[in-house]
Amino acid sequence: MTKGMKKYFKKKIFWFIITFIAAVILNFILPRMMPGDPVNAIVGKSISPGATPEQVQEQIEFYKHQFGLDKNLLGQFFDFVKNAAKGTFGISYSQYPRTVSDIIGAGVWWTVALQLPAILTGWILGNLLGALAAYRRGVFDKVLMPLSLFISAIPAFGAAVILLVVFAVNLGVAPVNGAYEPGLVPGFNAKFIASVISHYQLPFWSIVLIAIGGQAVGMRSMSIYELNADYVKYSRFLGIKDGRIVRYVFRNAMLPQVTGLAMSIGTMVGGALVAETIFSYPGLGMAMYSAITQSDYPVISACTLIITLMVLIASFCLDIIYAFIDPRVKAAQFD
Amino acid sequence: MAKKILEVKQLTTKYITRQGEDVYSVDHVSLDIEEGKSLGIAGESGCGKSTLALSLMGYYFPPLHYTSGEIIVDGKNISGLDPDTVRKTVLGSDVAYIPQAAMNALNPTRKVGKFIEDVMKAHEIKMTKAEVREMAEQRFKLVGLPVEALDKYSVELSGGMRQRVVIAVSTILNPKVLIADEPSSALDVTSQKLVIKMMKDMMNMGLVKSMIFITHELPLLYNVTDDIMVMYAGQIVERGSAHDMVFDPVHPYSRGLMNSILVPEEGNRDVKLTAIPGTPPNLKHPPAGCRFAERCRYAKPACFYSVMPITEFAPGRTYRCNMSVDELREVYAREDAE
Repeated sequence: MTKGMKKYFKKKIFWFIITFIAAVILNFILPRMMPGDPVNAIVGKSISPGATPEQVQEQIEFYKHQFGLDKNLLGQFFDFVKNAAKGTFGISYSQYPRTVSDIIGAGVWWTVALQLPAILTGWILGNLLGALAAYRRGVFDKVLMPLSLFISAIPAFGAAVILLVVFAVNLGVAPVNGAYEPGLVPGFNAKFIASVISHYQLPFWSIVLIAIGGQAVGMRSMSIYELNADYVKYSRFLGIKDGRIVRYVFRNAMLPQVTGLAMSIGTMVGGALVAETIFSYPGLGMAMYSAITQSDYPVISACTLIITLMVLIASFCLDIIYAFIDPRVKAAQFD
Repeated sequence: MAKKILEVKQLTTKYITRQGEDVYSVDHVSLDIEEGKSLGIAGESGCGKSTLALSLMGYYFPPLHYTSGEIIVDGKNISGLDPDTVRKTVLGSDVAYIPQAAMNALNPTRKVGKFIEDVMKAHEIKMTKAEVREMAEQRFKLVGLPVEALDKYSVELSGGMRQRVVIAVSTILNPKVLIADEPSSALDVTSQKLVIKMMKDMMNMGLVKSMIFITHELPLLYNVTDDIMVMYAGQIVERGSAHDMVFDPVHPYSRGLMNSILVPEEGNRDVKLTAIPGTPPNLKHPPAGCRFAERCRYAKPACFYSVMPITEFAPGRTYRCNMSVDELREVYAREDAE
């Protein structure tokens, strides 16, 4: 590692830490600024109709103490940090007495298994189509590009709802919601896996479709830009084969696309929210959504903390990756 | 008489626009260069200089198309060959090209040395990586470039260095004809000098057998090339030795060009510069007669409809004008006296 590199990474890590601390504080404060009192909601649901005001008050006090809400905001913050450090993130309000880590642990694999393949598939297909459209032009481009633009302009919830209505409701070829048949017990058997796969299709394609459209549009314009670059013309007149030039071009056009990939992986949890909510998919997005509707501060804070961390890590990795794949970035940053 | 290394006969190429119109930007151009000689091509922007440079390679891709004529390099007619043969056997070795924007001519994500490997591979030259490296190092040393440049990306090189690296890469296969399209126009004077010196050295060392140098900077041509050819609206209007073209231009357009610049020679201190009014014609609809007639201060009615062929009026000197050489010289003498 050169001296410039060391200095660059030191600076990056410093900012990483600053951003992280700021994010932790915001993740703590923002949910608590939402209107509504979570304890009242829980007590209102759980208490029997004939309870006296004293009993109600007693219940409220009990839960407040359980959740640590009787402390001042600073005290609550330290509790939050302490619980985060322990890895449990405290106790969920809405699913008392489950710990937050338990809720997240149950949802996170569904989200990763849904989002990661979808993002990668969308990214790869989108880039291939964009590159092809730029290279082949003609009819291919004239059909594909308006279509990609159209698809990428559909909001995520729109695409999900359309798929849901067409394939699940009208055609009945896919299940309407959930990740597997309600009666089944999760396990490694053919019936369960088949059920998971059929439930997987609609949320998966609703994410893939939109990713394809967006990536294709970006890749096409980057490729066209690169195809017209001076080095392409020069390489041609030096007798370099077309195939090799195409490789130059697409390698260079891909560079900005890597940012898109890292960012969608980083914002995976937030991005999952819409698809998971519409298809009632039991992932993190769904957990976060129901936590928000019930002012479940610990779960909200934990989810947003995960998002923050993933985005930070993704952008940190990007900075490092770019330094190795793009000599222009390297030259600009390490000197 | 020395051997002709490049002979171009009545070469015509055209652009096909998006609207499907034909624009003949190289119109029946004939020229030849002897071994060891260099030819400068001058003219305003939009005269077809750069298009001529591209057309001479024998390798066409849209919107540029070959129409007719012959390009003969060292006895080999390259104008009838199929594109892949041209790519493999002509480009880089028979005819090499240095682009106008040589500053950005290198792939930003490929090291110079790697790119040279690619060039070798493209021409199916059987060499191991180590051999290519060895050859490239020797060549870089020979032309006065640091060997370390081979391990650098273009962004890590200065502008002038990039330009010289491009020249070294372009000539790595010892081309018979080197076509340089304004190779120094984006550089400061010091870098320009280095670039020009490098190209001259390559000629002297025999790495390059002949050179075509395209520029709008006439003083540069006067110092660099043996002959100068002036182009106007896709046609050649005059050709002669560099000295004759600068001090005794015959065609009114050449004269206009020469009068609009200063050649740094003694006695030129008080010369007044005059510009040529107007702009070159749109080649979508070229004028019927002399293409320069509209802007020519000596034009007669006949100039606007009679087509003038190019004629030789002295050994190595050709021009394209309705008026005789004597007539023109007389007019010029009168003008200069005033």
